[in-house]
Amino acid sequence: MNNAIRIVLALAALGLLFPSAAFAEPSGLEIMTKVYERPTGTDQEADLTMSLIDRSGSERVRKIHQLLRDFGAVEKKIMFFQTPADVRNTSFMNWSYDDGRDDDQWIYLPALKKVKRISSDSKSDYFMGSDFTYDDLGDRHPNKDKHRVLREETLEGETCYVVESTPKNSDYMYSRTVTWVIKDKWIGLKREFYDEDGDSLKTLSVKSFKKIGVFWIIVHSEMHNTQKDHRTIMKLENVLIDKGVDKSQFTERMMKRGM
Amino acid sequence: MERFFGWVTRHPLAVILVIIGLTAAAGYQARTGSRMETDLDEYMPADHPAFVYSDQAEEWFNIRDGIIIAVENPEGIYNSATLQKIKDLTRALQQDPDIEKADVTSLYTADNIVGSDLGLDVRSFYRKAPTSPEKLQELSEHVRSNDMVRGRLVSEDETVAVVIARIGDDVFSQDFYQRIMKLADSFEGPETIYVAGRPIVEGTLAHLAPKDMQKMVPAVVLIILLVLYLVLRGVRSTAMTFLVVAISTIGSFGLMAAVGIPIYSVTTMMPVMLIAIGVADGIHLYNHLGLFRDAHPDIPLKDAVLEMLHQMWRPVVMTSVTTAVGFLSLLTSDIYPIKYFGVFTAFGVLLAMVLSLTLIPAASVLFGVKGRRLAKKTDDDVDGMARRLTTGILRSRWAILVSTAIILGASLFGASRIWINSSFLDKFERDSEIVKTDAFVNEHFGGTTTLNAILEARDKGAFKTPEILEEVRAMQTEVEGRELVGSSFSLVDYLRRMNRVMNEDREAFDTVPKSSDLVAQYLLLYEMSGDPDNLWKVVNYDYNRLNVTFQLKKDDSRTMNAAISSIEAHRPRLAELGVDVNYAGSGYKALVFTDLILEGQVKSIILSILIVILLLSLMFRGLRFGLIGTVPIVLTAAIGFGVMGLLDIPLSTTTALLASITIGIGIDYAVHFIDRYRINLEKTGPGLETMVATMGHSGRAILFNAVVVVSGFLVLLLSAFPPNRALGALIALGMFVSFVATVTVMVHLLQGGEK
Repeated sequence: MNNAIRIVLALAALGLLFPSAAFAEPSGLEIMTKVYERPTGTDQEADLTMSLIDRSGSERVRKIHQLLRDFGAVEKKIMFFQTPADVRNTSFMNWSYDDGRDDDQWIYLPALKKVKRISSDSKSDYFMGSDFTYDDLGDRHPNKDKHRVLREETLEGETCYVVESTPKNSDYMYSRTVTWVIKDKWIGLKREFYDEDGDSLKTLSVKSFKKIGVFWIIVHSEMHNTQKDHRTIMKLENVLIDKGVDKSQFTERMMKRGM
Repeated sequence: MERFFGWVTRHPLAVILVIIGLTAAAGYQARTGSRMETDLDEYMPADHPAFVYSDQAEEWFNIRDGIIIAVENPEGIYNSATLQKIKDLTRALQQDPDIEKADVTSLYTADNIVGSDLGLDVRSFYRKAPTSPEKLQELSEHVRSNDMVRGRLVSEDETVAVVIARIGDDVFSQDFYQRIMKLADSFEGPETIYVAGRPIVEGTLAHLAPKDMQKMVPAVVLIILLVLYLVLRGVRSTAMTFLVVAISTIGSFGLMAAVGIPIYSVTTMMPVMLIAIGVADGIHLYNHLGLFRDAHPDIPLKDAVLEMLHQMWRPVVMTSVTTAVGFLSLLTSDIYPIKYFGVFTAFGVLLAMVLSLTLIPAASVLFGVKGRRLAKKTDDDVDGMARRLTTGILRSRWAILVSTAIILGASLFGASRIWINSSFLDKFERDSEIVKTDAFVNEHFGGTTTLNAILEARDKGAFKTPEILEEVRAMQTEVEGRELVGSSFSLVDYLRRMNRVMNEDREAFDTVPKSSDLVAQYLLLYEMSGDPDNLWKVVNYDYNRLNVTFQLKKDDSRTMNAAISSIEAHRPRLAELGVDVNYAGSGYKALVFTDLILEGQVKSIILSILIVILLLSLMFRGLRFGLIGTVPIVLTAAIGFGVMGLLDIPLSTTTALLASITIGIGIDYAVHFIDRYRINLEKTGPGLETMVATMGHSGRAILFNAVVVVSGFLVLLLSAFPPNRALGALIALGMFVSFVATVTVMVHLLQGGEK
């Protein structure tokens, strides 16, 4: 066997063993990690409008003022309800930990004048009666799933990786999700969710994202639960990033004080 | 007409061949084109306001009937294996292609909302079935302290848990039913599995009723054939009389298939009706032929047959037309299957008439009739019996009058107590599996029958107002106090639970929150922490529609009406608060449906009696005969309803239809008798002789007719299915009363008028 052949064989073996290295394509995990870690600033202040629409077309709209700040190991978020009027000044605080332990949550009901801890056993809970779970809102660490790049595809004019994610723990509420991730921007443009029996459950579509400062921020998205034909539309307005949300904002006292 | 009969008797073979050909075509059509319709919703008149409203409310709150599968472990359910079984059963039902996942409820799927000193804790009761004694203990304590689960998903004595699968109206089929039963069966042992709930009851009914009919009809046919033979004393005449009935039944089903009308469960009663009515023509024809040939042994058979047709075609046509009109009066019903039943039974009756006037003479000419049927008996015997009977009847004028008055009085009293029952369960044997299962589940849980009260307010957010919610609470408490109401459930129960939990789980806070803001905030909190879908089953987005669910222990109309009247007592107070009350759900629809059937029956009875009076007056050229002819059917109907009332047999979809057949049969007897009486009247004038001759001729035939049908229908008493037994008994009674009324009361009325 001559050297030339040896070299060719060695290269071929390398190529087979490290296909991504050979073609410089990111793995599924790398893509999803980039999405998870896409910088969105240290703090943010915004007005959130959440619309819930049931299958008959009835719509409920909630306006919320929200503050959030990344403290490194913990991300803290506080939300003040503005409308409807009868829940005005109801506030909700969430501390989410990087080490994977359960979130800490508090609620303040002005009519009761009490702050209460809420605990629940699952991050798969729906967020404020919407079609989003906390996980869907970006809380789920990519380490919890196995990822596989299915293909590349153009969606709404953006070149996307299509990544399939399956949970390592089979008890999870989704059996798999498929995400369209915009190349270079690392924004999930669309995601399909399949329930534990493998049936299509929900579709998340990002309708609009904006560059605010140096960050890509999703400002309009819609989650459609196809099994119930129920939709949630989330819109962010007046987004301020890194304008210095005070560290001391995230306390029970501030929850009671309102905005 | 006479020319047609002449042609029939000259070309008997052609007539028979044509009939065979048409029967074969109809039979083929019926076999290939028939379709069963088992979906009970197809029976409901879709545009009736109560149904429109109920359907709409069902849509608003996703109200559906639940299949209840109970898992019983006498040792208690709090052990790993039983909890695993509850989980597996829940998962298995969720995976059924016809059941939506969110529609399956059990301890495994339920939210456990727990209050603690610090706040609110929302968890599932368990994901993996716990194994350690501490965890099992903890789980049982959680259930014990949760009013929304204890007594609803787990029995108070902790030996039974239920898995409830709610299904859409269109889901239920025989396949689905079999699949669920098989699934439940596979979970049997060591725990005992029970399957209950309205869909199962309906399914079992739809499965059993036609099956029982299939078993019983041959027995009825056999007995009728036997008694027909005893009465007619000839194989050929028996066979022909029966063939008339059989072919008219085939013809009716063939026509139904040809025009694309499906077979509804009420249609399965059609053969029974046609048997009861159709044999009459044959009996009267052969009766006349026999008597005529006895009297005139020298006349050739063909001429005797022509004489029979000449004499009898009028009453045969008259009876058939009046009977058909009786059934056509069912067209006034709001319920399509009943309309179809009326139309096609009327068609069958007319077909039997045509066949009686063609097949019977043709076959008589072609195959002959047994020669001297009454060889041993002379005319004098028949005449003598008729004479003794007639004079006896005429002499007992007062006895008949008084006893009729007494019976009528008792009947009217009975009829006043009659009640309508929309229950499905009451159609089963009291010790049948399904009734026992239902009783078992009712004993351990709130109730297997659901009544939904739908509250509506004009203003958005009305059901956040404490004052209104407090009134709803008061209503729930009061209705729950009724004996057969097990439990109730509404938004109020969620709010009481939240209020208690948010106030350190103190019992004093198991109340409606004090301000509407607090209500709104609790609801927001529930949405954020629980499953908001549960909320939309009890209230709408705008908080101006409320669904209050009552669980009842029985599905009969009395229980349902009792609960409704308790709710109605709150109507004025709710109205003051701007809240309107309506009802929804399948139980309520069945109640309205039954009322509609009854209302339709009453309308159609009155209409058919009026038409019968009119027809008889035209046929007999005088209002007097029209009125006299209706007396037996009025008596029969009154006594029929009276007996039902006295024996506490409720009106149901089956028994309500009996009035039609009663009229159909009763009128036949009267028409034959009056027609013969008038013929004899012309010969011998008013007096005893005329009545004796009529009694010996028509009286004899209607006695035969009554004996045949009564004995045939008494066979239904052996049925395993209570509604079929009631049907048999009531038809037999109707026939008997019609006969007796015709030969006693009507005889007096005819005789009295001629004096």
